[in-house]
Amino acid sequence: MINRRQFVLASAASAGVLGAGLSARAQELPAGYPADYKAMLEKARSEGAVSIYTSTDDVQGRPIVEAFQKAFPGIRVDYNDLGTNGAYNRIISEAAAKQVGSDVVWTSAMDLQMVLVQKGLAEAYKSPEAARLPGWGNFNDTLYGTTVEPVGILYNKAQLASFKLPKTRAELLAFMRDNKDALKGKLATFDPEKSGTGFLFFSNDAKTMPDTFDLVRAFGATEGKTYGSSGAMREKIVSGEHWLAFNIIASYAIEWAAKNPALGYILTSDHTAAFSRVANISKGAPHPNAARVFLDFLLANSGQSALASVGAPSIRTDVTSGLNLTRLTEMAGGNLKPIPITTALLEATEPKNRADFFRRWKEALRG
Amino acid sequence: MSLAAQAPRFRATVILTLFAMVAAPAALIIYQSFLSAPFFDEAARPSLEAYQFILTDPEFYRALWTTTLYAVGMVVVAVPLGGLLAFLITRTDLKGRRWLEPLVLVPMFLSSIVLAFGYTVAVGPSGFVTIAFRSVFGAAPWSIYTLPGIILIGGLSHVPTVYLYVASAMRRLPSDLEEAARTAGASVWRVSLDVTLPMVLPALVFSAALNLLLGFETFGIPLVLGDPNGILVLTTYIYKVNTIFGAPTYQVMAAVTVFLILITLPLVFIQRRLLRHARRFAAVGGKGARTNLLKLGAAGQVIALSIIGLWLLVSVVLPVGGIILRAFVENWGEGIRLSEQLTLANFQRVFELPSLSRGIVNTILLAAIGGAVAVAFYLVVGLAGHRNHGRTGTLLDYSVLVPRALPGLIVGLAFFWLFLFVPFLVPLRTTLFSLLIAYIIVGLSYGLRIIQATLLQVAPELEESARTAGADTFRTWRDVVIPLVRPGLAGAWAMIMIVFLREYATGVYLMSAGTEVIGSLMVSLLTSGAMDQIAALSFISILLTAVGLTLALRLGAKIHD
Repeated sequence: MINRRQFVLASAASAGVLGAGLSARAQELPAGYPADYKAMLEKARSEGAVSIYTSTDDVQGRPIVEAFQKAFPGIRVDYNDLGTNGAYNRIISEAAAKQVGSDVVWTSAMDLQMVLVQKGLAEAYKSPEAARLPGWGNFNDTLYGTTVEPVGILYNKAQLASFKLPKTRAELLAFMRDNKDALKGKLATFDPEKSGTGFLFFSNDAKTMPDTFDLVRAFGATEGKTYGSSGAMREKIVSGEHWLAFNIIASYAIEWAAKNPALGYILTSDHTAAFSRVANISKGAPHPNAARVFLDFLLANSGQSALASVGAPSIRTDVTSGLNLTRLTEMAGGNLKPIPITTALLEATEPKNRADFFRRWKEALRG
Repeated sequence: MSLAAQAPRFRATVILTLFAMVAAPAALIIYQSFLSAPFFDEAARPSLEAYQFILTDPEFYRALWTTTLYAVGMVVVAVPLGGLLAFLITRTDLKGRRWLEPLVLVPMFLSSIVLAFGYTVAVGPSGFVTIAFRSVFGAAPWSIYTLPGIILIGGLSHVPTVYLYVASAMRRLPSDLEEAARTAGASVWRVSLDVTLPMVLPALVFSAALNLLLGFETFGIPLVLGDPNGILVLTTYIYKVNTIFGAPTYQVMAAVTVFLILITLPLVFIQRRLLRHARRFAAVGGKGARTNLLKLGAAGQVIALSIIGLWLLVSVVLPVGGIILRAFVENWGEGIRLSEQLTLANFQRVFELPSLSRGIVNTILLAAIGGAVAVAFYLVVGLAGHRNHGRTGTLLDYSVLVPRALPGLIVGLAFFWLFLFVPFLVPLRTTLFSLLIAYIIVGLSYGLRIIQATLLQVAPELEESARTAGADTFRTWRDVVIPLVRPGLAGAWAMIMIVFLREYATGVYLMSAGTEVIGSLMVSLLTSGAMDQIAALSFISILLTAVGLTLALRLGAKIHD
């Protein structure tokens, strides 16, 4: 999945930049960091550890953890990949038992983390890096976007050689309708019933794009299959069992296509949605200062570079390693539409809204 | 107080402790099912909403129906096949039956989630075998992601369970009746159907009930193989209900578990009954009856060996071979030459990632050291129940049944909460002890059965003579019983080790950074679809099981009860 050398280099680079910038011995803090940051850093160091609850798997999370540990050797990172539901489950249970174990919560479940904010389980903190983020990527200085990850198409080049590839959503719809029989059982997409990410993609589509259920209907008519993860779909596209998967995490698709010449990816040029892995500090975090240092690092140029090196594009515009917001916007024909971090995310957690969505989804899926 | 008077007190203390360990998670789950929110939430109030939800959810009924089909289907596949294998290996002069026996048991020792991954990568729509078959014949006529496919795989993997019970019943049968039938001119098959079968019927019925129970609680196989086509059983419905609500909905998970208990508890009771009858029935033949093996004849040998060979191919070679291959490649599929893809990258990544490499170490620790602790615990419980005909003995019998009715996933979740909210348990939560305690409870009925069987081998006369000579109960245990069962304990340890190695469901909610175990890591990796790492971990799991099994055979583990 990841080129090992790539992330070793990335970690080294980031360690260099931030290590030089923030280490206690350094004379100067990066521009925009408050004067008392050094004092906080000292406290963070004496706390000695930072505990992360995340849904980012270890392979992808490793470079940022390594970079952080190089920059702040005194602060150990306890990295817990719990999945989105697992993280949420643990956070609310631990909060109720007054044994908060997480310092930083960092998952792709934008909606669940907004629920945590609403339940008062997140701590506000104005990061000195906040100014570098787009407005939609910062909710009340509490919940921050750390990536911008487009939603797109992964396909098997050989299997689709004789087809005209869709470049827009409208073309994708036509592609499915026109080749209904040829594509029988050959398409795949995210399953909103199995995966919170899948739900986020399709419910956001349903809210923003009027053609969403037409697309689902056309997909259902080809007897396409649904999966709980992008990785599972990659497996099936590589082996040729499926030819094309849409509404999958396209930043992964871009990485996979770069590595395996049999694969191709598409970002539809009329509309490409994007989600963000979001991060917040836990209320009552056992290591509050280390939590802040880690959050700042997630958002800083060096941390963002480490993330971008493993297919989690930067939410900033000034990060040069890997993809960033500017570059992705170009790749999506100027029509990149990130899901904003606002209380509107809570709509997706309302049981009634969910039931409505699933009813329409199932009805459309019948084709 | 005299030492002799301490024995009842010791028994009562041990049994009540065990009862508390078993009852606490069960009670918590039942309590949670009658609330409107998580039990720790201030907004939680008594409510039947959860039951209302599942009773009006068509998905629940579908899952219930699928589970029933699966459980019954598994019995239909496993019982006849297991019975047949037992007959061939114990009652006939089948060639190579000595080394076939341990081989036949292999699927029982593999974690079902590893088996399921094995089938996916071997005979799934894009599996190695499927692709090879398709390239030769144009199409592969099977699909393992369908309910019949899942049932067949589930059934085949449970053949050893049937084999164990039926084979041990068959071994106890005298052969004079079969010989009489042979002399009267009946064929081998006729004899097996009309003479042997009726005599082992209780064992067959018992293993059918056992498989029915296992079928209702099955998790790994439907989780991996049912998922792509949206086939849900009750346990995977519990696991997936979270995503339907968008957040963990414990009351619904708990309510489904209560349903599951309502189905499985009667099965557990029936099973207990049957076991008692089966023992009595099988004793008819008495010990020491000389058994003469039925002669199969040349054609019979060929047919019998082909049946066993085919079964082994499908149940062991395909899934294990699939895992081994998949662990060493990153890409495969139509038009990709596997020999060019061989790599150690999957393992390299596993060893680079702290959580995964820690998971391997933890699994070994938990299986080896934790297994020894568990054996010690089961021994103490076993002694407390040994020749205990009082009320505490009955309580023990029932305590052992409760965990059988609870799926491991839920036991793990309940223990997660217990370790979070019970003050004196709090310090243990983030250590391997939390997993060990949950594992001990999950493995209770199996582990205790092994220990009890060992204890019962000590003839009561020995204990009685010790007592007559003036030793108290403790002294009798220390100087007579324990020394005599010591060799049995080593075997029991190896068996428990294998049980702990293959466990995967219990740790899903319980493990945290530092206490990862291989099986549960695979379940969580499944959500992100990281097949490269899953395959490497599965391979390591198979390897560890093989080591455990070798050790078990060396230590003379009693696989038969």
